[in-house]
Amino acid sequence: MMSPDRTVPEVVPFGAKRSVTHAINTTPPDAHYWSTQMSAVSTQRDRASFMRIYDHFAPRLQRYLRNLGVPDSVADELVQEALLTLWRKAAMFDPARASLATWLYRVARNLYIDHVRREPHWLPIQEGLDRLDHAESGRLDSQPESSLDQDILKQAIDRLPPVQAKLVRMCYLESKSHSEISAELAMPLGSVKSSLRRAFAKLQGSMRAQR
Amino acid sequence: MRPNHHLDDATLLSYSSGALPAALAVVASTHLERCPACRTRLLDADRIGGVLMQQQRVDAPTDEARTAMLALLDAEPAIEQVAPLADIVEEHDPDRLPSALHPWFGNSMRALRWHRVAPGVQRIRATGISGGDLMLLRIAPGSKLPLHSHGGSELTMILDGAYDDMLGHFAPGDVADLDGEIQHQPVTSPGVPCICVAATDAPLVFSGWFARTLQPLFGF
Repeated sequence: MMSPDRTVPEVVPFGAKRSVTHAINTTPPDAHYWSTQMSAVSTQRDRASFMRIYDHFAPRLQRYLRNLGVPDSVADELVQEALLTLWRKAAMFDPARASLATWLYRVARNLYIDHVRREPHWLPIQEGLDRLDHAESGRLDSQPESSLDQDILKQAIDRLPPVQAKLVRMCYLESKSHSEISAELAMPLGSVKSSLRRAFAKLQGSMRAQR
Repeated sequence: MRPNHHLDDATLLSYSSGALPAALAVVASTHLERCPACRTRLLDADRIGGVLMQQQRVDAPTDEARTAMLALLDAEPAIEQVAPLADIVEEHDPDRLPSALHPWFGNSMRALRWHRVAPGVQRIRATGISGGDLMLLRIAPGSKLPLHSHGGSELTMILDGAYDDMLGHFAPGDVADLDGEIQHQPVTSPGVPCICVAATDAPLVFSGWFARTLQPLFGF
């Protein structure tokens, strides 16, 4: 693992108060740690915090994009663009709505659809949906995503039956449509959909169960 | 009014992973604009993506890559204050099409130029969309559509008017998320025409002799 994963989070002024209630010896860094780093980026333009985020997430975003079939040079550019988006829009990050991993996943997925799939209308629509969510965040019933959520979700993914796990990975990590999955695995379209439905129900159940 | 018929879980996963064919994604976005409940479910789906992305084993970035990133930060202008977000008011203008449809059909319901494709059925087909077929349909009140099923997936969202079929009553904002196994025969409600946006990733299959003669008219 790279060094930031082993580092005990530094206490930064804006995160100090909240850190008290959390164990800070967790490895790898958790959602709370990342939201502390993000708050240093947005309020102090802190480059050291930014680079901690970069060191952890840039290689993961790069791997994600390469797995989608994005050529290396394009993947590198998109990763830089995703991190620049983070630098510019750090103030838009709301840890009460989503973890940094979820937020960066959305940013990278949107850049992929915009640049690689060349769907020029996707980005403005996603920004519009984001604005709606911000406007409504007070009314939403969604719970903040904690590091516990992520661990539980991780375990729930690991516990999926092999076929469901395979389909979820083809969907997210290869960005394959239902019909592409159906053709590739010689599995009826209806079965692909019902397996994905069952997988989502289990994963959602795991996220809701401990709230 | 909040929608009663929502996006299928499998469709949401596909949308979240960027794998939903473009035409279906437009209809899904149209529904998401109107449906806070589906936006919350989408966030759950994105969380799965976030965990899978983060779980991958990787090497530390190279010094060259870190230096390049820092150079890009140097080139960034000092941050401008993010403007407070405008309060989004619920759209009550019945003439305004949902934003996700603007690139394909403009923003005004009244300005649409319909083409008659069958008695009581008018259509506007989006041009230049990759991945499936996207169209607006305007069906006269009290019409019974031919019984049909779907070779692949179909997503339909009601914009105005309503219809009923074996799955229930569909009113503005409601989405019918159908796959090949479902055969349905929508009957539009009396009063105003039923206007909907529909996307398919494969041709529709009409059953029966009469319906088969209609199929060329629909051009599906």
